[in-house]
Formats: sequence, structure tokens, C-alpha cells
Amino acid sequence: MKEFLTYVITGITLGASFALVGSGFVVVHRVTRVVNFAQGSFAVLAAMLAAWLLGGVLPHGAAEVGAVLICGLVGVAVGVIALGRRGTPPLISLIVTLGVSMLAAAAIILFWGQDPVSPPGLSGHLALLGVQVDRQRLLVLVATLLAFAVLGLFFSRTYLGKALTASASNPYAARLVGIDVRRMGLLAFALAGVLGGLAGVLVAPSNALSFSSDLPLALSGFAAAVFGGLSSPGRTLVGGLVLGVAGQLTAGYLDGSYQTEVALLLMVVIMIARSRTFVAEEAK
Amino acid sequence: MNSPKPSTVIVPVVSVAACIAPLLMSDLTFFVHTVLAAIVVTGLSLLMGYAGQASLGQGAFVAVGALTVGLGTTHAGLPPLLLLLVAPLAAALFAAVVGLPLLRLQGHYLAFGTLALLLLVQTAMSSVGALGGAYGISGIPAFGVGGWKVTGQLPYAYLALACLAVVLLLSRRVVNSRFGRGVRALSGSETAAESAGVAVGRDKVAMFALSAAFAGIAGAVTAFFTPYVSADSFPPLDSFTYVIMAVVGGLGTIWGGVVGAVLVSVLLQVLNTVGSQPGLPPTASSIIQYAAYGIVLILALLFLPRGVVPSLGSLPRRSALR
Repeated sequence: MKEFLTYVITGITLGASFALVGSGFVVVHRVTRVVNFAQGSFAVLAAMLAAWLLGGVLPHGAAEVGAVLICGLVGVAVGVIALGRRGTPPLISLIVTLGVSMLAAAAIILFWGQDPVSPPGLSGHLALLGVQVDRQRLLVLVATLLAFAVLGLFFSRTYLGKALTASASNPYAARLVGIDVRRMGLLAFALAGVLGGLAGVLVAPSNALSFSSDLPLALSGFAAAVFGGLSSPGRTLVGGLVLGVAGQLTAGYLDGSYQTEVALLLMVVIMIARSRTFVAEEAK
Repeated sequence: MNSPKPSTVIVPVVSVAACIAPLLMSDLTFFVHTVLAAIVVTGLSLLMGYAGQASLGQGAFVAVGALTVGLGTTHAGLPPLLLLLVAPLAAALFAAVVGLPLLRLQGHYLAFGTLALLLLVQTAMSSVGALGGAYGISGIPAFGVGGWKVTGQLPYAYLALACLAVVLLLSRRVVNSRFGRGVRALSGSETAAESAGVAVGRDKVAMFALSAAFAGIAGAVTAFFTPYVSADSFPPLDSFTYVIMAVVGGLGTIWGGVVGAVLVSVLLQVLNTVGSQPGLPPTASSIIQYAAYGIVLILALLFLPRGVVPSLGSLPRRSALR
């Protein structure tokens, strides 16, 4: 029983980071219909930046916040490239962001080399239901829940959040009522940069990240976002947690090397099962 | 259409040049890999350009072709020529089986679904002992027909060229067929195509299987040429490169795949040579490579969205209009 609880709790904390990366996909896709392949690169970039800033003069907290904010700015730049000229189809934008993720890999190797980086985080354990959990992993969970709560309030309660949703559901009508749809798209990319960066800063202390970590991060995030049809933050959170727990249970009871494959299989199965609703959503 | 198309002159010239080129090169590894990439990209270009479906995991089918040869020669002792013919069929069959559920996905979902497929195939290859396992399949014999065995690199260059020629001829037949017209119609609107009598689901799977067959034959030649097959032989970056080549050359053109494969391969080779000059840091090569992939892809898509071949093809017509 204690074994089972350990797997579930580690799974939840791991799944929280999937959900955080996934929320970046959701925010961008909601507003622009673009799937941003470079979503995992934000996380890697933030981890590198945090480690670099911590090695400089900045104390804990300031360094992480700084790294996340820089990722937001990078997000805007990615948005400018990905949205391209007016009328660039979303599938072409996906391939453009694939190019962006490769550029990001080049930049990361240029500035920080090829080795994995793991900035220091919270140390020590905490007993939870009789299970020892790293405090850093709990921080990931708490920060994720906070981020999703803020995101939910932002979309439902603020004028800006509603403008973002409006641009998503009907760009033409949104433009008629005076919303700058392109600027909303860039704002979504900035938000995605912040969310991806947050994930990277939180994950890196327990799992070292390198320039090539962007693909696994992006895949697990996308898998989480698929649960929410790439448009619902709430269901993305649930999806992330399900994937995390399923992965940890497989690792614990079957074989540790098949964690990613379980996530991939679940993703494909859910995508195919829900393919009809996706087609309907795309057609809207 | 009345004026003679430039391709009537260019195509024979390029074909002759491609046949002479291997005789002048000392090391043919680059040449063979470029021709094989052109074969894969021709299939991908058909799939993306005519059927409107993106695949980020084309390497999965290259792997199936290579595995067919690897297992067929080392375990079953089958003749190489037979395996060269079976490999594309095996890849097409695999694509048809996984395509039935997978092709219900569209756009982004299909792109990620095919990428997931590639990663799952890689895992299967590295963890199932019968598929090579952690050590891969080595000791694949040289290609040969009957008692005659191939020695050296030169025959592989012509084998690859012959496969490319077959693939290009087949592509032209397919594009101009009733099936090809149906596939083009479904890339515009599936509903409209279906109401006009196109069997959308069947045709999509068939096109997917055809592109997989092309990848499979490239994989088979790779297996004979290298001669080693393991999970690491088919990294996702290779599959992304195929997409870059297809986009650079121009989607939905017969020659786009070849032009894209040659342009991108030559560019990468040149940059690789520059990056590994003495005096540069050891990471310079990979920095330049990743940056080149990224910049080529972004610039090509934003400023030459139709690719090199269609953009060049429309030049004479444009100047004629003026």
C-alpha cells in the first residue's frame, strides 16, 4: 500500500509539470489555432537561464522569476515568427515552430553547452501520508495548481482574458468590436513562454534538462493538452495528472523504461477516440 | 502549356549528371544517403502536398524496410533481391494497419501521432531482442543477385538511383491517375470529395501506405549499404529533416522531393565541413547544424511557402505574361 501511495504521489507531482507545459499549448492553440512545437524549448531555456542567473549574483526567487519573464519575451519573438504573414495556415505554423525549436537548441548549445543542467532548488523531504516526498516536487505541484487557478480566473474574469477567448472563437467578430487579434496572438505566445518557463524552472532541480530535453517535454505536455482537446486548461491539468500517475505506476510495477511509451500510447488512443469531436472543433 | 516545358530539357541533363557523378566521387556515403533521402521525401511530398497530411515520423517506415532486410538476411537467410522487393511491401502493410486508426486524426494531431509512432517503433526495436534489441542487427551481407555479390560503394549508388527512378515514375503515374485526382480533392475538403464519390478513408490510407513503401525501399538499401540496423539509426531529427526537405523543395510536385533533398543535404554537408574546421570549439558543428535546420525551415516557409520547384516553375510563365 505504501508502495502504491509513493507511486501515486510522485506521479501527481510529475504530472503537474506535464500539465504546466501542456497549458502553454492550450493557451496558444485556443487563441491562434497554432500548435507551438517550441513549447518544450521554453522550459529548457528557463532552466538554463535560472542556473546561469543563480551562478551570477541573483538570489533564489529573483533568478527564477527573471528566467520565467525572459521566457515570456522569447515567447513573443516565437509568436512573431510562427504567426508569420497573415493567412499562414496553422499546419505551416506548426512546422515553423519546429524550426524555432531547432534554433533554440542551437542557441542553448552556443551559450550553455550540451551538458544537462540542474540548478539548485529546495532540498529535503516532507512526510505526506507516510510517504517521503521531495520538497521541490511538492513545490512543482503547488505552483502548478496556483498557475492553473490564476489562468482560470484570467480567462473567465478579466477583460483581457475574455478578449483572448473572443479572438479564438471568432476572429472576425473580435476584430469588429475593436480587439487586435494579432496582438492577442502574441500575448498568448508570451503567456505560453511564461508557463513553459515556469515548468522548466520547477522541474530542472529534480530532473536535469539539456538542449535535447525539449522533445520529451513537448510530447508529454502535448499529451496532457490532448485530454483537454487543446483548448481546456482544466482538463489539461487532469490529463497531466493521469499521465503522470499512469507512467509512475507502470514504472513501479512493470518496467521503468516504458514510462514515456505509456504516455505516448495513451495520447494516441485518446486522440483517436476523440477524433470526431476534434474535427467538429476545428470546423468551428 | 503550349510552349515546351523547361523540364523536358532539365530532366535528361540532371539524370545524366546523376549517373556520371558517382564515378567522380571518392567516397559515396554522402551521395547514397542523399539519393535515399530523396526517395523518402518524394513519398512524403506526395502525402503532404497531394493528400494534405503531415507526417513527422516517416522514419518509422524507413525502419520497417531496414528491419525487413536485417532480419530477412541474418535470421531467415532469404535472397537480398527478394528482400529488396518485400521491404516496401512490408512498410506499406505496416502503414496500412497503423494508418486505419491513425488517419482518423488530422493536422496537428496526425503530426504528433506519427511522431509518437516513430518513438514507439524505436522503443520496440531497442527493447525486443528479436528486432535487434540493445545491440542492433549487425552482419547484414552485401547486396547481390544469385551468386554475384556486390563489392564497394559504386553499385549501391546505382541501386539507389534506380530505386529513385522507379519511385519518380510511379509517383507521376499515381498523381495523374483517378486515385491521384481523388486524393487531391480530399486534401481540399474531405466532405466535398466524399460527396463527389471519393472513398476518402480508403484513399488516405492508400496514399499513406504508398509514401511508407517509398520509405521502406530507402530503408532496405540503407540496411545493405550501412550494413547495420538499430533503433538509433532512425532518430526523430532525421524525420524532421525529411519534412524540411519536402517543404524546401515544394510540396505537391514530383521533383520537389529530389530538389529539396539535394539542396538541404548539400547545405548541411557544407556547414558540417565548415563547423568541423580545426580551431573551432567541438560544439560548433552541432550549433551550426541546428541553426541551419531552423533558419532554412523558417525562411523557406515564410518567404517561399510553395517551395523551390513551384516558385522556379512559375518564373517563365510570369515573365511571359508581362
